[in-house]
Amino acid sequence: MPAAIGEYTDQPWFMRLVLFVGVTAVCTASDLRGTMLGQFLAPAIGDPLESGWFGRIAIGAVAGAVVVINVALVRLLPFVAQIGVVWLELLILFLAFFYSFDLSYPFILSRLPFLITQGAFTTIYVSLAAIFIACLLALAAALARLGSSGPAFAVATFYISFFRGTPLLLQVYLIYLGLPQLGFVVSAVPAGIAALSLCYGAYLAEIFRAGIQGVPAGQAEAAAALGLRKGLIFRKIVFPQAMRLIVPPTGNQFIAMLKDSSLVSVMGVWELMFLARTQGRAEFKHLEMLITAAIVYWIISVIFELIQARIEQYYGKGSER
Amino acid sequence: MNHILGTVVRLTLAAVLLVPLGAAAGEVLDRVVSTKTLTLSSDAAYPPQSFLNDKNEMDGFDVDVAKEIAKRMGAELKIVTPAWEVITAGRWGGRWDISVGSMTPTKERAQVLDFPAVYYYTPASFVVHEDSKAASVADLNGEVIGVCGGCTYENYLKKNLVIDAEGAPPFEYAVTPGEIRSYETDTNVFDDLRIGDGKRLDAGLSALPTIEEAIKNGYPLKVVGDPVFYEPLSVAIDKGDAEFGAKVAEIIAAMRADGTLTRLSTKWYGVDLSTVK
Repeated sequence: MPAAIGEYTDQPWFMRLVLFVGVTAVCTASDLRGTMLGQFLAPAIGDPLESGWFGRIAIGAVAGAVVVINVALVRLLPFVAQIGVVWLELLILFLAFFYSFDLSYPFILSRLPFLITQGAFTTIYVSLAAIFIACLLALAAALARLGSSGPAFAVATFYISFFRGTPLLLQVYLIYLGLPQLGFVVSAVPAGIAALSLCYGAYLAEIFRAGIQGVPAGQAEAAAALGLRKGLIFRKIVFPQAMRLIVPPTGNQFIAMLKDSSLVSVMGVWELMFLARTQGRAEFKHLEMLITAAIVYWIISVIFELIQARIEQYYGKGSER
Repeated sequence: MNHILGTVVRLTLAAVLLVPLGAAAGEVLDRVVSTKTLTLSSDAAYPPQSFLNDKNEMDGFDVDVAKEIAKRMGAELKIVTPAWEVITAGRWGGRWDISVGSMTPTKERAQVLDFPAVYYYTPASFVVHEDSKAASVADLNGEVIGVCGGCTYENYLKKNLVIDAEGAPPFEYAVTPGEIRSYETDTNVFDDLRIGDGKRLDAGLSALPTIEEAIKNGYPLKVVGDPVFYEPLSVAIDKGDAEFGAKVAEIIAAMRADGTLTRLSTKWYGVDLSTVK
């Protein structure tokens, strides 16, 4: 019997049927009678709000049909065009969602310059400084974990264990409020950068270790057989190959850090999230600024994704065919 | 979630605070006088007391009071904006000199901070959606009530509010809520209330001036009954510098005597809250 079922499930029409039933069910359940779609179908089903279950299912079925026809049409295009069209459609739906909040756009426009020059600028420079220090910490911790020195191994694993095992917000508080007890009064931005680098250094250490271990031992052995020194083998043979494995997850961590940098706002650093939470408060318009900040974060992330792709390309040169 | 986070933060602070680190006698006052700078810690999301105005500068009643204190000390006011729990944790380590942040001088806080002078009294009121049928405070018994976490309004609902400042008027616990929902700050309570009567919350408890400000900005809310208690709100300073405290108390007394507090209160609240009615 499994073969017979496979005969159906492999058909394109089967997946479309599933899609149609799925979208229809979701739209029926969420009752779209009060929306624009309901208004649009009023000539066919009468007053949408009076139409009861018949109206709900009819609107659901129309929505299902629209989605299925849309998918079928898009599939006729070349692959790259398919991606572009679907991205555009999702983006329009997304903007329509935001539009439905009835936001005050003049308000957003008047606050946007400060949100970017003060907020986004602080976010980016805190993140860049933190990722740089985190990479150095991670490299040291990863090498200590891979080396033969017992104390170095112990220090590295202790560090990684603690900073991976406690919440970043707590580390921010510990560094900001704890260090002054020892006599070091650090101000908010350095404390934030320290907390972010220590925390992400611990995560990156494991990524670096995995990347270095992922380079086949034969590479280092072959280099040793050619008479290269240990340091040179690491720098010129192992490290560049390890980078190919390290870059994608590191880029991931960096984008995560970009958003976690919002935690430094508890110390009063005027970064993107802090301004998003406070700028609209006086006029009780914080939804405006939160949505704007979401979009700014997203744009910055996309830029970093593109940079990451370039770095990947660079370190991937060796394995191109 | 807020509760767990709050507990974690409090435990961390408790661990961190085992080592005392107050100010030495006269140290803060000397610093303010010699640098001619008074550093204020302030909440940027607490209108109309303190907030970012449309020029992206700190503004509000508390900020105006702090500006006046700085002026009378012959200093410039500098403002920093750490999170509220970082301010109330005490042990400021010289990062800032003073908090003019509508802080209630509770016994718990008095263990880590000094409260040299009460500068105004704020009425606490219940607020509901404008469609609500509640006509008096008694109608709110058994309802779902939203409140800022860790603040005096939450203590009032939990019936463990202690205000041991001089001149605090007596009060009664008028409401037994069915459920208390704690939020990061008061404005989040209004956001959940505005969705609709009983959708997420039946009522909220907050400062009357903050409620009125929200209503003025188009929130579909209304105040229920008379204020349930009056909170004395005090200037806070780090523990250990009595000279600085005396100076602040002297300035606040002068500002009350010459009508400055009344003028600023009327400017921001439309009424004089510098004394209890």
